[in-house]
Amino acid sequence: MTDAYYDDDNFTDEFSTDQDITLGVWSTLLRFALRYPVDLVFLGLSAVVVGIAEISFPLVTRAVIDDAAALGLELDLSGYAFLYAGLCIALGVSVVGFLWFGGKLRSHMSHDIRAAGFENLQRLSFAYYDQRPVGWLMARMTSDCERLSNIMAWGILDLFWSFTIMLGIAGAMLIMEPLLGCIILISLPALAWVSRYFQARILKSAREVRQTNSRITGAYNENIMGVLTSKVFVKEADNLNKFGQLTDRMHAASITNAVQAAVYLPIVLTLSALATGIALIVGGIESAWGIISTGTLIAFLTYTRHFFEPIEQLAHWFAEMQMAQASAERVVSLIHATPDIQDSDQVLSRLATTHPEPLAEDGYSRTINTLTFCNVGFAYLTGQPVLENINLEIKRGQSVAVVGATGGGKTTLASLAARFYEPTSGEIYLDGVDYRERGLNFLQSNLGVVLQSSHLFAGSIFDNIRYGRLSADPQDVMIAARQAGAHEVIEAMSEGYDTLIGEGGTSLSAGQKQLISFARALLADPQILIMDEATSSVDTVTEARIEQGLRVLLKDRISIIIAHRLSTIRHASKIIVIDQGKIIEEGDHDALIALKGRYYQLYQQQSLSNLWQIST
Amino acid sequence: MLTVGSKTLPKPKLWQLFTNTSMGFRGKLAGALGAMIASFILLFSVPMITRSLLDHLSGEAPDRLFNLLLMLTPQQLSEDQTLVFQLSLAALIILLATASAGFFVYLRGKQIAEAAEGMARRLRDQLMDHLNHLPLSFHHRSDTGDLIQRCTSDVETFRVFVSGQIIEIGRAVLMLIIVIPILLSLDVEMTGIAMITMPFLLVSAILFFNRVKTMFTAVDEAEARLTTVLQENLTGIRVVRAFARQPFEIDKFAKANRLFRDRNQKLMQFLGFYYGASDIVCLLQVGLILFVGANWVIAGEMTVGTLFAFITYESMIIWPIRHMGRVLTDSGKAVVALGRMAEILDSETESKYEQTLNQPLTGQLQVSHLNLKFDQGPVVLSDLSLTINAGQTVALVGAPGAGKTIFLQLLMRLIDPDTGEILLDQHRLSALSRKSVRRQIGVVLQESFLFAGSVADNLRIGRSDATVADMKRAASAADVLSTIQALPRGFDATIGERGVTLSGGQRQRMAIARALLKDPAILILDDALSAVDTDTEAQILENLREVRATKTTIIVAHRLSSVMDADRIYVFDKGRVAQAGTHNELSQVPGIYQQLCELQGQIQADIASSLNAPKEVPTS
Repeated sequence: MTDAYYDDDNFTDEFSTDQDITLGVWSTLLRFALRYPVDLVFLGLSAVVVGIAEISFPLVTRAVIDDAAALGLELDLSGYAFLYAGLCIALGVSVVGFLWFGGKLRSHMSHDIRAAGFENLQRLSFAYYDQRPVGWLMARMTSDCERLSNIMAWGILDLFWSFTIMLGIAGAMLIMEPLLGCIILISLPALAWVSRYFQARILKSAREVRQTNSRITGAYNENIMGVLTSKVFVKEADNLNKFGQLTDRMHAASITNAVQAAVYLPIVLTLSALATGIALIVGGIESAWGIISTGTLIAFLTYTRHFFEPIEQLAHWFAEMQMAQASAERVVSLIHATPDIQDSDQVLSRLATTHPEPLAEDGYSRTINTLTFCNVGFAYLTGQPVLENINLEIKRGQSVAVVGATGGGKTTLASLAARFYEPTSGEIYLDGVDYRERGLNFLQSNLGVVLQSSHLFAGSIFDNIRYGRLSADPQDVMIAARQAGAHEVIEAMSEGYDTLIGEGGTSLSAGQKQLISFARALLADPQILIMDEATSSVDTVTEARIEQGLRVLLKDRISIIIAHRLSTIRHASKIIVIDQGKIIEEGDHDALIALKGRYYQLYQQQSLSNLWQIST
Repeated sequence: MLTVGSKTLPKPKLWQLFTNTSMGFRGKLAGALGAMIASFILLFSVPMITRSLLDHLSGEAPDRLFNLLLMLTPQQLSEDQTLVFQLSLAALIILLATASAGFFVYLRGKQIAEAAEGMARRLRDQLMDHLNHLPLSFHHRSDTGDLIQRCTSDVETFRVFVSGQIIEIGRAVLMLIIVIPILLSLDVEMTGIAMITMPFLLVSAILFFNRVKTMFTAVDEAEARLTTVLQENLTGIRVVRAFARQPFEIDKFAKANRLFRDRNQKLMQFLGFYYGASDIVCLLQVGLILFVGANWVIAGEMTVGTLFAFITYESMIIWPIRHMGRVLTDSGKAVVALGRMAEILDSETESKYEQTLNQPLTGQLQVSHLNLKFDQGPVVLSDLSLTINAGQTVALVGAPGAGKTIFLQLLMRLIDPDTGEILLDQHRLSALSRKSVRRQIGVVLQESFLFAGSVADNLRIGRSDATVADMKRAASAADVLSTIQALPRGFDATIGERGVTLSGGQRQRMAIARALLKDPAILILDDALSAVDTDTEAQILENLREVRATKTTIIVAHRLSSVMDADRIYVFDKGRVAQAGTHNELSQVPGIYQQLCELQGQIQADIASSLNAPKEVPTS
């Protein structure tokens, strides 16, 4: 739940602001925009037309006023009226155009960046995921993508528009009256500086607001999750006090941000009034002396009011880009990250050639008869080994139960077998071939994994079981559910197999989830079956049912079973006890009991909940 | 979903919440409006000055404003000097008027920010405090995500309403109030022409944005779906890989991604038509003034300056009016947001007004005839009675669902029984304030919640003034001191999301240390040693006996071995006490407890047979 509330600024490493804009990442992003050349051209074109139309209106007004003064009653205004109406329509159509093309570009770009990111995320190995919380990845893929495509689409639009307006107004003023034009243009650098200065600060304080806001969200989350603890320790007042510091900070940061904006606007207004004043003095004198017409003076006065908008916009986007630099780098790095675990070049070339039917796509045998761990060691961080010197051989039809204290390395062992990670030392062989020589997809599509915290997807129960084999028909799904002991449980639900689960649907108990994911793994009919505490939450009656099916199912597979419940473990062909990353005991149930070591201890001290389950 | 009061609250309730929240900030809101009026008057004076000058330059007779300018002009100047003086004076006035208008714009911004942020802070604090005081039953039936959304996005919607929409509406109204008289004073007929499209713009904008509401919702839905697919994929990445379902997932994501893209694009393009069309209307309105005005200028019915003033004023007000439709439709959201917050704030909290208890207690408990049944649910407790003497260590045993945890919740007044009574040192529990009851009780839950922060912060939740020595003592009794000392920064190490991850057993032991630090009259361990190995469990229980020599301890046990030494064992079954006694007593009589002992014994026998050398099987 919390994950949904991360925003882009939730991690300390991203708190540095004001990074220099580097062209590399932005040109990578620009390439996403260049996929839509036609839309880009039209976007730019409509921006230019809007700019030109906006500049033209004061010129029409000027001409009308001057002609009215000069020609009096002889003036025919209909020509100007048509011109004016034409400009209105051109502008209106261009507004439609830039929202049309910009809207398309923006949503397509963000779509494409997200798609590229997602595809790479499907390739990246777990080591990548371990270092980055789900919330962090979510923020990259959602708000960052939106933000960057926003900058790209609307920034490009404003770039064209701003330059058109500035060039147009400057050109018009210089042509109408070079001296007056020059005088007004002098105010430009001051305005640009002021805009840059304020926009950067405004965005910076806005960032502080966002950061504090995500902390506030986090605090709500923590307080709601920990409400029981707060109550029993009577921490309500302390919580409010602590939270008050956050809301104070939010209050202060938000006001700073608002005040900065409130100072910036008047300064721009005043600067533009200064330009208007100068135009009025110089233009007034020139007008009185007959150097310029009243219409020209009016045009100048109008231009001085509009001249500053483009500068504001450009300053805004520049600051926005600067602030988004970190986002851009993170998104680009996500798209370009290379997975640690992927098929080597040799494997890829073998995969590219077709092999005769009995062979798998990587040119080796389709069946797996033995899985061998040879001196396998593994460390998530160098120097802190999680597994050391593991030697293990499992033949088809055999099951190995892995027992030991939490944190001893059981799950890591299973992850290595699944090639979620690769050993940092030693090798794992499939029928004598190092599994790094085999296709990753081959191994993983012959794998069935049931985890303790069974992850199910939003959708129907049927769809969730069928995830194991997408081609399965309803009959297959039901057979698998029966074997897993899930059928009765599912039938008892309101909609049976069509019951929707996940967000907005029925919520299942941990035990029900385990049964369904067990059925899912069985449907996959894997050659290698890994069960990580897969039945820890089902009741004994159901477990007995599973166990019956299990005995049949383990028959022709290579199985690794991690379990706390010793009744489950007893029946494994072999039991290994892992402690602090090493196999300390190995053998069948009787042999290990006779050893009177760790296994003996564990077995002797059954937990009460275990006893309750046996007794019912 | 929040079920409590999910019907729409009556309007007065919302109004009351609004008035309560705005208390003390209304002055600032009024000040902001005042500043806005001042800034408008100043800003609107500029076109009038320009108009006077333009008319003077084109040889019209001086108007009243220009006469004022003439009075200020020194007499002895030449004609050119007079002109330069007058122009400079006008420019100066314009500059000053704009600068002081700017000052008022700043004041407005500051005041409104202070009001809006102050109100938002008040709401956030109130919501947080209220959530902390709402009963457990409220939290059980509410969805965390939904609550958080009410406390964050809904507060934000309301804040935007105060700082943005109120001011936008005020701005549009004030502009019209100020501009219309000015325009009327200039030219009545032209004012009519200038206002022709206004009602049309306003009404069509409101109609339009009411229509596109559904499109906005559709985009939000598509985004929510995209987020769900993404989140499910990322949290379930192991499952995806385990079944090699990457292509399937990419396809699923692509669908959601496309839907979001297409709906977004459609919305944007739809908006494009509206903005394009309304821009044309606005511009044609300005054009109408220009051309009608130009005709009148030609006919001598209007001066150039007046025409200029009309065009300037028109472009000042027409775009805000167009924007109004959006603002008004958005304001509807604030009402909804306020209602959603009111649902939380109107839910009844645990009562705060009961007798408080300050003297320390001995921890004597007398529980008689408790009955509890949840709405429509099964009976949870039926006629439960038991006595716990001060200083006893008592074990509660029973199958999951037998009522142990509920009983403990009643002890802490997290819920109240339907009937029955608990006496704590002769005080009726129901008459004591919840907080003072909880101050007497320390509890360790199976799922121990630790807060993000340092180890010391978490331990000090037990007692805020605990010294390092205190913490060391408690940590040592909970057998977690060496773990803490092995952390990179010891007691200062950060735990939680941004810090060190602790294992389940370590968390449980931290929670025990935290509860010990509180040194309560009654200590409750609710299956609190499930993730700790047998030896450690025995060690901790041994330590507890020492530390809590004369104090009451209630243990919901995890292993039979941890029950045996209790002064008294209560066997719970179906919401009542089925058996009570010491281990020796209970293991002698037929019943649930004896059955458990026999099972444990069978396992021992099993082991013995595995060893192929039958030994004496201990039953106790």
